Amino acid sequence: MKFSRKLGATAALAAAGGLVLAGCAGGGTAEEPSQGQTGTNGTSAEGADLSGSVTFRSWSPIEQTTAQMVSAFESDNPGTTIDATIFNYPEYLVDLQTRASSDTFPDIVGLQPGALTQQYRSNLMPLQQCAADTWGDDWQDMFYPIGLEQARAGNPEGDDNFYSLPILVQTVNLWANTQHFADAGQEIPQTWDELKSVVDAMEGNDYAPFLLPAKDGWLRNAVFLQIANNVEPGLVYQAESGDASWTEASIVEAFDYFGRLFSEGIAQEGAIGLDAYPSGANQFEAGNAAMIPLGAWWIQQSDPTKDQSTIPELSLGMEGYEPFLFPTIPGGASESQFVGGIDVSLGISANTENPDLACAVLTDWIAGSGGQKLIDTMNDIPAVQGLNPSEFTSAKQEEIWNTFVEDWLPQVEYSRYFDDPRIDQAVADALAAVATGQQTPDEAAAAVQSVQDEVLAG
Amino acid sequence: MRERIAKAGPGLLFLLPALILFVVFVVYPIVYNVQASTLRWDGVNPGVFIGLDNYADLFRDPVFHTALKNSALWIPLTIVPQALMGLLLALALNRGVFASTFYRALFFIPAILSPIVVGIVWQRIMDPFNGVLTEVGKATGLDWLGGNFLSDPSTAIFAVIAVNIWMWTGFSMLFYLAGLQLIDTSVLEAAKVDGASWWQTTTRIVFPLLKHTHLSLLLLGIIGSLKTFELVYVLTQGGPNHASEMLPTFAFQEAFQLQSVGYGSAISVVLIVVAVTASLSMVRVFGSGFITGEEKRK
Repeated sequence: MKFSRKLGATAALAAAGGLVLAGCAGGGTAEEPSQGQTGTNGTSAEGADLSGSVTFRSWSPIEQTTAQMVSAFESDNPGTTIDATIFNYPEYLVDLQTRASSDTFPDIVGLQPGALTQQYRSNLMPLQQCAADTWGDDWQDMFYPIGLEQARAGNPEGDDNFYSLPILVQTVNLWANTQHFADAGQEIPQTWDELKSVVDAMEGNDYAPFLLPAKDGWLRNAVFLQIANNVEPGLVYQAESGDASWTEASIVEAFDYFGRLFSEGIAQEGAIGLDAYPSGANQFEAGNAAMIPLGAWWIQQSDPTKDQSTIPELSLGMEGYEPFLFPTIPGGASESQFVGGIDVSLGISANTENPDLACAVLTDWIAGSGGQKLIDTMNDIPAVQGLNPSEFTSAKQEEIWNTFVEDWLPQVEYSRYFDDPRIDQAVADALAAVATGQQTPDEAAAAVQSVQDEVLAG
Repeated sequence: MRERIAKAGPGLLFLLPALILFVVFVVYPIVYNVQASTLRWDGVNPGVFIGLDNYADLFRDPVFHTALKNSALWIPLTIVPQALMGLLLALALNRGVFASTFYRALFFIPAILSPIVVGIVWQRIMDPFNGVLTEVGKATGLDWLGGNFLSDPSTAIFAVIAVNIWMWTGFSMLFYLAGLQLIDTSVLEAAKVDGASWWQTTTRIVFPLLKHTHLSLLLLGIIGSLKTFELVYVLTQGGPNHASEMLPTFAFQEAFQLQSVGYGSAISVVLIVVAVTASLSMVRVFGSGFITGEEKRK
């Protein structure tokens, strides 16, 4: 009994100590920008005497490219330093949340539109003044419309601030291995029936006609959104905002068509267990598939700044590939819809000690010499129009690039993201359940609607 | 009283650094977690106190039930096969077979590899489209080898468990080899003189004398099972449709991907309770010195 009392007292003491230490859980960390900082309206890069250092943390661009962007900015602006750290995405989420809670938020952060930007909105500075001071009052004309629209996704009503600005944008689409198509005497499918017939015609070869790396929720959702917008353009976003139901016939039909990719043998065996990176991408680049759903960023496989002798034959100058949109669905829209949006956007900490330098770095990386370095690697499509790589390694590569920047991106109307992470997860779960036969399309749609009801109820 | 304090003072001072570290790195996170679990909180913006609502939601959540069931499966289905195979390997290598040092190193290699690397490699091995197992199945006529092990909700958790066994059997083997070295050879020689067969010696003498190794592996196995994350995350991400979800992957998803730190904290608190209960139960059953070899007080 004596032992128990002592143990109890020690535990209570330790717990009390812990409680004192832990007193701030859930207390929030965002502070108003301090006096003397330019904050909402005063950030200005124009004519500023830049010096000092800023920190940058993100999951994208990749480390080597970021190093080139840092170097380009520091060369143009002697006396400045950028302390950049690149993580993988899950690790980055943990780092960012920890830093926000410990008042060590980086000066510049990589963000995804919607939920992630909104989560950190109170830590971020509005950027429109920075943009106007750097690029002029008509700065919004520089950007692809979908990038700007998504940059403000999820803002509270009446809040028109830009808490992040896109640096890279993309479409989600399919890619074809043109060699396999030529060898099989097939044309790139434009309709669902053509897709099925192409897959049938290519069966029996030592490659997958349609490689679907569906282990990743983001990829399942990207494919689903292409199908859903081809069935009834825009309806899923109405469902997410509560203006329509997830159980409407067109959405159930989209779940059904997603399921048919598996049940009708269009996707390869074990598709729901294959990840997009590295496995799916490696398989496609090795010539083990005729089609794969990825996005505009696949053009980075032909990076002109890389040693060209290290690039696989198919990817060299994009010679072996052709991008195309997800085929139309019977009874749906007459033409395939463009789905896409921001790849990565940048935000600035509301409490940065050097807002002028942070603004200068951000705008340089979007549309300056740092941005040029980024685009030279073809990491993805620039968020601003008219920024092109300094060099193309083939006419095919240039043709594909122009398709994206001139034809596709300006037409992107539908987002590749859901605004709420719970809906994003619910749709990804429902699609996995349909793919594995655990749920019918009706049940899957109802499951998403039930999460939607919880989200709307707050 | 003063005398007692003066007597205990130096001892307490020696304990102080450890106590401070314990409070900062163990007590503080636990209390923080418990407090966070009473909030609706995204981890960044101010949270709202909701009492025990997160726990009420959690106990109704089918994904939580799946994660608990998977943890319950994981513990026996990894610990027992790993221990059995590790023991058999150790017994074989302890008999001085040719190149035993090489085999020891070979069997131990998976345990020192990154779970990320192991996960990526096994995903490729088990890919039913053109993975190694599928190709072996085609070549040998054993078509079942090309099954959708990772992508079928009914087999995904068992596929991950199989990879875990492959990874950690060498670790058990090393423990048993160390345990075998500690057995007094005179006992084994006496058994031999008494005419005991290899089977009798192994089951009636060696196996009981390895009790502390069994218990150490049991404890390490339970701890390892409860904190399993990387392998599951890389192989299945807890899917398909949460079929292979474990408590740590579920907590990570809720806290960081779904921005529900309060709910994720509630999962972590349950995990702590399970871990503490398991540890205390073992101490209760086997005594506090069961790893060091000290017998339980009667």
